[in-house]
Amino acid sequence: MRKVQEGKPKLGISVYSYCQVLGRCMTLEDVFKDMYDCGATHFELLTSHIENYPNPSPQWIDHYFWLCEKYKMQPAEMGHWAETHLRRGDRMSDEEVLFNLIRDFKLANLLGFKVLRTKITTVNLYCDPEPGWERIIEKALPYAEKYDVMMQNEVHSPTLLTRKHVFDYLEFIEKHKTKHFGINVDFGTFQNAWPEDIYSPEALKTLKQRGFGSEWSKPEDIKAVLPYSKACHAKFNYVDENFEERTIPYNDVLKIMIDHGWDGYLISEYEGPGRDDDAFLGEQMRRHHIMMRRMLGYC
Amino acid sequence: MVDNHFIQMRGFHNLYDENGKCWGFQFCMRTKYYKGIWLSQFRTGNVIVDGVVYPKDTLIWNIQGMDYTAEEMYDRTDIYWQVNEIATVKVPKEGGLEQGYHTVEVEFGWVCNYNTAV
Repeated sequence: MRKVQEGKPKLGISVYSYCQVLGRCMTLEDVFKDMYDCGATHFELLTSHIENYPNPSPQWIDHYFWLCEKYKMQPAEMGHWAETHLRRGDRMSDEEVLFNLIRDFKLANLLGFKVLRTKITTVNLYCDPEPGWERIIEKALPYAEKYDVMMQNEVHSPTLLTRKHVFDYLEFIEKHKTKHFGINVDFGTFQNAWPEDIYSPEALKTLKQRGFGSEWSKPEDIKAVLPYSKACHAKFNYVDENFEERTIPYNDVLKIMIDHGWDGYLISEYEGPGRDDDAFLGEQMRRHHIMMRRMLGYC
Repeated sequence: MVDNHFIQMRGFHNLYDENGKCWGFQFCMRTKYYKGIWLSQFRTGNVIVDGVVYPKDTLIWNIQGMDYTAEEMYDRTDIYWQVNEIATVKVPKEGGLEQGYHTVEVEFGWVCNYNTAV
């Protein structure tokens, strides 16, 4: 049997990781400099980081491309939201939702993103989609093709990879034979430890109340979605001084990914405590990239 | 750059009309959220200063240079209040606030597509 070629994922960072320091003690350029310094080659931007979104000025766009060039960073994924309830009362019409999606597709295309983290409106904590999502995504597919973007729905803790809606998404992709809809796996779904030396008692209480910590995805659950994934959120909560992530079984997850030939974007997303401390955050980001490079054999 | 605290130190002062009469005070704030929000997603309440309640309906929210009442913001699905963009909250109060320290509180929230709007 022919062996599947080992995947070579590309290492990226989500600007979201810096959301508590960006604009307070770091500029967008400082963030790019930091991402470059960590050794990342790709980045994720949320629409929330685009000045004057949804209509950035030509000056901002020039600045953005100048940052990409100066720090040798390439756009990987743009995070955006498929809002269906921007007004009180009834849900917006499909046409209104579609109009906003197309606006973001154009913007992604302009800024060089080929992958989108499209947040479909959900009805509960487990991110079960609001009924009617298929209609909207189906209508959006020809435009996603036109603007060369792939919408990716994110599987985010406490949602498990075995949740029914994940299979509904996969079924939708197969039915439409589309390359413009897929899945972003947020590694938080594999989190199986909540160490007391990392989380404060208050934080643990809140997490528990919000449904976190009772069950988690098994690393092998990722196999089913890998062929439909171009970018994943390499979520992390704490990497210790021995370059080991203490809450998520990274070794197991990354091994499965590369053994299956996955070569998408691994986008670091720090969501542990201390995100408002730029020095602490910077150290975590460097530890995380050292850890991933060692596991992937990039060192 | 903005202040780290979501209610900003910069911009907290009394307001005067063209005749120099003090008609209220203002303070500035950022969204306190990791993402920007459309104004229609924004939900506001009262402002409370030193325990005195200034009702929601009397407040003026200035975002990107435009004044809105709470009611007017509900319909603005076209204005995006971006992260780290400062909103100025204008509070009518004849004579304004006295010089010195004040405890400023503001009630607000937002509706986002993680949960169905109510």
